[in-house]
Amino acid sequence: MRDNSNPVYTESSRPWTPYALIGIGTVLLLIGSYIGLFVAPAEHYMGDVQRIMYVHVPTAWNAMLVLSVAFIFAVLSLWRGDWKWDNRLESAIEVGVVLSFLLCVQGAIWAKPTWGVWWDWDPRLTTTAVMVFAFLGIMVLRNFVEEPGRRATWSAVATIIAFIDVPIVYFSVNWWNSLHQLQSSPETVSESFHLPLRINSFGILFLMTGVMMIRARLAALRLESELAPPLPADGKSLESGRVPGTGPAVGGNA
Amino acid sequence: MTGEIQGGWEFVWAAYGVSAALMGLYTASVIIRYRGMKSRTTRKREGLS
Repeated sequence: MRDNSNPVYTESSRPWTPYALIGIGTVLLLIGSYIGLFVAPAEHYMGDVQRIMYVHVPTAWNAMLVLSVAFIFAVLSLWRGDWKWDNRLESAIEVGVVLSFLLCVQGAIWAKPTWGVWWDWDPRLTTTAVMVFAFLGIMVLRNFVEEPGRRATWSAVATIIAFIDVPIVYFSVNWWNSLHQLQSSPETVSESFHLPLRINSFGILFLMTGVMMIRARLAALRLESELAPPLPADGKSLESGRVPGTGPAVGGNA
Repeated sequence: MTGEIQGGWEFVWAAYGVSAALMGLYTASVIIRYRGMKSRTTRKREGLS
């Protein structure tokens, strides 16, 4: 049973925090991309094409991080039964799908000049495609299920199941023969490439954290309108806009 | 044949362009959807009070 004792949506005491994060993230991405494009040296074998790594690898790290956070929100949503975790889950799934889709597009653009093909059914690419479609399916599920309580439970369970693929994506290059190179880390990447990789990673992290916070507030507003009872005939019976049965304005959504 | 990839800047620009476009458009869509929903909710609350 979902806990309706907290209001679904409350105004944040710091409404500008997500916009500040988006601003910081954008500035970091501009700086990191400038260094990656014009300052960092070209890689010995891949030449300038390797510069795609400075957006591709940070996107991969953040996609996996966001989908792992979605898994935590799904567990908390089932465990605590508080709507805020469902709102945050909806937000994390959408951001995770956007980043994972972008990851596939960047990978295809990098694959063409290095492998000679846009796409190959290799273990890393196949498991990543499964990951995108699994979480996309959860987004579709959320749009089809109209009853909020059922939607929250079903999507949390589906997220926990879909998350099984995330570590498989990460370790696929270790477990199977793959065209894709091993995971990039400070140990496997030359030191001259570290700076743009790190700056862009934090850039995407700040940007998408801000976006997730706003997206969670959007989910909370939509939920509030869904949980509100239909207007009475005279349109004046409700004393306030707050959902009946909800408590004082405490808690947050993002 | 040296085994080294020559050129390829068009792929680099494509990757950075697609990344900027997708992240920028998605961020804008979230902000626009949120502001639209917030103003609708505010109007609804005002109508109820």
